[in-house]
Amino acid sequence: MTPQRERRGAELVAKYPEARSALVPFLQYCQAEDGYVTDQAIADAAELVGITPAEVESTASFYSLLFRHPIGKHVIQVCRTLGCMLGGADELREHIRTRLGVENLETTADGAITYEEVECLAACDRAPVLQHNLEFVYNVTPEKFDSLLETWRRESPAAALPAE
Amino acid sequence: MPIEPVLTKGFGSLDLTDLAVYRSVGGFAALTKALREMTPDGVVAEVMASNLRGRGGAGFPTGKKWSFLPKDGRPRYLVCNSDEAEAGTFKDRMLLENSPFNLIEGLVISAYAVNAKRVFIYIRGEFLAGYRIFQKALAQAYDAGLVGADILGSGYSVEIVPHRGAGAYICGEETAQLNSLEGKRGEPRLKPPFPANAGLYGMPTVVNNVETLMYVPHIIERGAKWFASIGAEKSPGPKVISVSGHVMRPGNYEVPLGIPMRELVMELAGGLRPGRRVKAIQPGGGSSAAIFEEDLDVACDFDSLAAKGTMLGSGAVTVMDDTACMVRCALTINRFFETESCGQCTPCREGGQWVHRMVARLEAGEGSESDLKILTTINRTITGTNLCVLGDSIMPFLSSVYKHFPEEFHDHVRLAGCPLHARSESAA
Amino acid sequence: MSPEKAVREVSVTIDGNTFAVPEGTLVVEAAKHLGTQIPVYCYHPKLEPAGLCRICLVEIEKMPKLQIACATRVADGMVVHTSSAKVAEARRGVLEFLLLNHPLDCPVCDKGGECELQDFTMSYGPGESRLTEPKLHKPKLVDLGPTIVLDEERCILCRRCTRFDDEIAQERTLIVEDRGFKSLISTRNGGAYASYFSGNTTEICPVGALTSKAYRFRSRPWDLNHTDSVCTQCSVGCNYRVDTRFGRVMRTFTRENPAVDDGWICDRGRYTFNYLYAPERLRAPSIKRDGGRVDVTFAEAAVLAGSKLAEAAARGRVGVIGGGRLSDEEAYALQRFAREVLGTNNIDYRTHAQVYASPSRFGARLTDIDDASVILAFGAVTPELAPILDLRIRRAVARGHAKFVYMGPYRPAFTIETRYVKLQRGTLPKELDDLGDAVRRGAGQPGGSDVATIASDIAAAKKIVAIHSGEDAPSADAIERLVETLQQSGRDAGILVVGATGNARGAEAAGCVPNLGPGYAPVSGEPGMTTDQMLAAAADGRLDALFVIGANPALTFPDGALARRALKRVPFLAVADQVMTETASYAHIVFAAASFAEKRGHTTNLEGIRQAFAAAVESPLEVRTDAQIIGALTLATRRGSIGDDPTTLFAELNAAESAPRAKTGGGALARPVVTGASAPIAVPDGALTVIPIPHLYAGGGAAAHDPGTKPMRPEPYAVFSPSDARRLSLDEGARVKLSGASGSIEVSARIAQQVPDGSVLVLAEMPEAPHNLLLDASGGGWANVEVIAGAAEAAG
Ligand SMILES: Cc1cc2nc3c(=O)[nH]c(=O)nc-3n(C[C@H](O)[C@H](O)[C@H](O)COP(=O)(O)O)c2cc1C
Ligand code: SF4
Ligand code: FES
Repeated sequence: MTPQRERRGAELVAKYPEARSALVPFLQYCQAEDGYVTDQAIADAAELVGITPAEVESTASFYSLLFRHPIGKHVIQVCRTLGCMLGGADELREHIRTRLGVENLETTADGAITYEEVECLAACDRAPVLQHNLEFVYNVTPEKFDSLLETWRRESPAAALPAE
Repeated sequence: MPIEPVLTKGFGSLDLTDLAVYRSVGGFAALTKALREMTPDGVVAEVMASNLRGRGGAGFPTGKKWSFLPKDGRPRYLVCNSDEAEAGTFKDRMLLENSPFNLIEGLVISAYAVNAKRVFIYIRGEFLAGYRIFQKALAQAYDAGLVGADILGSGYSVEIVPHRGAGAYICGEETAQLNSLEGKRGEPRLKPPFPANAGLYGMPTVVNNVETLMYVPHIIERGAKWFASIGAEKSPGPKVISVSGHVMRPGNYEVPLGIPMRELVMELAGGLRPGRRVKAIQPGGGSSAAIFEEDLDVACDFDSLAAKGTMLGSGAVTVMDDTACMVRCALTINRFFETESCGQCTPCREGGQWVHRMVARLEAGEGSESDLKILTTINRTITGTNLCVLGDSIMPFLSSVYKHFPEEFHDHVRLAGCPLHARSESAA
Repeated sequence: MSPEKAVREVSVTIDGNTFAVPEGTLVVEAAKHLGTQIPVYCYHPKLEPAGLCRICLVEIEKMPKLQIACATRVADGMVVHTSSAKVAEARRGVLEFLLLNHPLDCPVCDKGGECELQDFTMSYGPGESRLTEPKLHKPKLVDLGPTIVLDEERCILCRRCTRFDDEIAQERTLIVEDRGFKSLISTRNGGAYASYFSGNTTEICPVGALTSKAYRFRSRPWDLNHTDSVCTQCSVGCNYRVDTRFGRVMRTFTRENPAVDDGWICDRGRYTFNYLYAPERLRAPSIKRDGGRVDVTFAEAAVLAGSKLAEAAARGRVGVIGGGRLSDEEAYALQRFAREVLGTNNIDYRTHAQVYASPSRFGARLTDIDDASVILAFGAVTPELAPILDLRIRRAVARGHAKFVYMGPYRPAFTIETRYVKLQRGTLPKELDDLGDAVRRGAGQPGGSDVATIASDIAAAKKIVAIHSGEDAPSADAIERLVETLQQSGRDAGILVVGATGNARGAEAAGCVPNLGPGYAPVSGEPGMTTDQMLAAAADGRLDALFVIGANPALTFPDGALARRALKRVPFLAVADQVMTETASYAHIVFAAASFAEKRGHTTNLEGIRQAFAAAVESPLEVRTDAQIIGALTLATRRGSIGDDPTTLFAELNAAESAPRAKTGGGALARPVVTGASAPIAVPDGALTVIPIPHLYAGGGAAAHDPGTKPMRPEPYAVFSPSDARRLSLDEGARVKLSGASGSIEVSARIAQQVPDGSVLVLAEMPEAPHNLLLDASGGGWANVEVIAGAAEAAG
């Protein structure tokens, strides 16, 4: 474990009565650092909270915001549940898939953008919605998406899925 | 029957994420009152008298829940459920982002009432912005001595720990949330034991919804009588209802419980697009059975909707007008539950997946009459047979719309596709 | 022991029958009183109720929803219906869901016939199938580790396996991955599920999802014959069943005896039967001739050996080594053979460092661990030596009432929380006497020292179980002194000695020791020689013949050089064994001995219970039971008669034991004279102290040749501390040569924090690299280290 990670791990553990509670926050921190939850992060987490790496794996695999394989610097998560569907999400998803040339949970060929279809994001009043790197974008139209995509492509965010 | 907003007062005009602003509108007066003038039991009694019912979905009386904690000297925890992932619900996120101090005040008073020394607020992983806003507010509150050691010189101390989830609807279920907080898979626990006896870390625990806890300071400040005088007799108080779908002004509306659905949808939310009619409404999020045009006069409260065979749930009204294909609507709901099942129980895991596959087939025009036959009976083996109520949420919407619009389902088989789309195509 | 708490009885009505059960009984268990079987998948009586599969739903009056019988506890006056229409429908529903994506490949499934999915579908399943749904396809052959494969399509996600690994084994390497309908049973990142208990998961898996590599596609359950047997691989004596087909052992299966095995067996026990059919299995006697070996008939071998032994006996220059792998009856026959036929007390079962097996009047029971407050282990690495005993310790510690203390020269990898006390060689007796003093003085010990910490653990303890490896006589005495002190202070205390061989205690009790006969009765005449004395005598040319039976002292005796010298030099060596061991390779005559599965008899476990086992299969033609070998040798010597019928021998043994040690105190056991075991050894400059370490799959007999356990068997290795490794410029995986006072071995290097600087842990009992070449008679030794190949080279 890097000293920095160890420090952050200790801070997180200190927030809880039992160390294991710091597991997911710690993995989120590692993911923000490394881009995804690496094998090393699993091992570090196991050591930090005192459980087996397999238990860490089991827990991590439960949560959809933890990725165990490399993902893009941009994660685009488009809502597909009822409210957004009524607002045109099916058509929007179709557009984005074609535009990016990927299917659900795939990353563009250049490795930059990971596309995911997700369930209700709690913004149904401004449907359809998506999150770009966990920031909400409301009332997304195909045109709006295209212009945002250009902006995003020019940016180089520090972390696709920030921990804090 | 509009009321003066309680939780949402000042939204849009005041920056309530600023402690000074929140104070200027009377914020933290209730905390001072509770800590200086009331005993913990006094707070519980007041909340009990208000008949505040939980806003997280089940509508369980909050004061009663608090009174269940055994008085055995073990440490107790208060957990605030800010996981909000029920399809169609978006009120807690708005409250969290716009009024974090009201929540913090509610957390501290409630923690005082149940004698918890530590509060965890479980914030949905996707709510990064809300999490940041809350953290910032929390830091201000700590600095101002409103949270932490010896609050306002009362001798009462409490820590508040925000905890971000990592993507899983089921973590809104209280026991799943406790597992998740413990760093485990967010799987619901077998009950009994109930959280009141063995919750977080095995200790007595209360789990309450964000909105629920935000009413607490107002009840303390203005009294249980005031609260109980608002809304329906058995479901008193205001409620923030999320209205979305085919309405002109989707959004959150703080209304007295018991408001007629017609008023909420047709007036507050601006009604439908010109020329459109209500086809179906989910009154309580993705888990709820639909009501239809003829039900528009139902009162929006826990008991009236239950009498209609559906529920108020977390207060999420999704309106579908006559352009909406019921099969496609059901598809989004059944896909939701397939994706979000934790996978422990057979009926929820396998049944939910099966139903989704059948509905997806129907929607794609590849369904069969035998699929439809199965859909009419499968609710009897999926519903009521699971460990938690997520499994019970798979069928209500589908069953209700199928029952109400059977021909639409059969047409999907007969026409090998959607009749509505076919119609709109031929119209074009 | 505390008296049983009075349990309140409550009345319950199930399907119209009203009866009383203890309060808190699960509905599913209550129904069993009636003989009503409520179907279950996720429920297993030994695991915490989980309530996952939902097949056990029942109707309980006054409850709006169906309730799960597996987790609902009976309340007074409860009325339960287990087969109402509502229940039947729910059950059918669950079955339908489970079969939805199930491959229905029952005809080629190992579980066919004992599959709970098959059974319940027969009883409650949907009559007409509406499962036209296309199946989701999943991997059908997932390699989970050395022993187990997973068929994901058959898995019904009841999680018994992962819960077993979590709650019982507490190893937590088998997991549920992902969620919802994508959930699957897995290991981390495809790593190995390499638990010593893995085989149990194949038994508790209600369907054919987890299967043993060793048993896959070998047989159908209904074709198997079952024989009740007892595992003899270690001294716990777990009960199991040997399943055979066409006279061949197909598999072994648990046969629950809660007081011994709690319903589990370890993989060493479960899979060590495949050697019976391996090419290395001895199928006929052989004699050394012209530098090679030739097979002979049993009769020929017996006559030859009998006459050689008789000649040596006539000169009083003969010895018998072995007994710890025989049945009780055979051990009894063996000591009669030594005493009556060969006329010598030169007999000893102790072929390892173990010096005793029975802690005389301080004996504990395995079940004492269940309510112990402190478990003290001395040098006994229970996970490697007695895995099922270790499970009991794990459970006691997990339940929170027991503290586990381990004292030894290094810290073994225990799965449970361990208080570790590092011992210098020879210091245990003093530490224990100090501890005894501390206990006598009472609480309020000055803190700090290990003794003080353990003393304070003990101060609060009601019950203490001491577990000893049985090595080193002064320590054995000190442990008995300590336990006596504990008993005098009003505490419940006892000792378990983990035997180096499966029936060490039985052999000791039957009289396979130089000074005591059956029942620990002192022998008439001069006590004979202990193993070390016999070996020394043979090496010096003072013995003319040795008979070694079911033992491999060349590999197991601490002083490997002495053992080899003795075995090579003795003018006549006869060995009886099941496979060609190193010891047998030196023999003039080797007898092919029957295995546990090919004979019947009794075996005594480490706590002294004598358990019967039956013959499951017949042995090959020229193979004989040890009793038959002894009987035939007796005949051939013409010096007496010892029958080979187990029933008669058992009766004789019982009669001979009529004055049991428990009543008279018996005689003190003559212990091998282990010179200097308590003294530090002199380690030359630059050399490392050798500490032998046990491994479940080590051994030079069956274990070395069993195809079933081969995948789990480690390569010989030695473990160095990180700082020694640096000093020696060693990498993990490097090939090293360890040279001691009388020999050298080549092993691969490992590096681990737990190794004390200046020591090297050497895997014991590996015939490829015998650790005992580095040791002397005291069990101590040292080694100089030389790197032969770096890690990369060694791997390439
Ligand atoms: C599948 C499922 C999801 C839930 N999600 C939420 C949620 O996101 N927020 C919430 O407050 N309650 C949710 N609940 C309800 C909680 O279990 C619990 O009843 C509630 O947090 C209690 O708070 P209250 O008494 O203040 O309503 C959910 C329940 C289930 C079964
Ligand atoms: S009903 Fe579904 S979500 Fe709830 S515990 Fe069972 S599998 Fe999990
Ligand atoms: S046996 Fe009861 S739920 Fe599985």
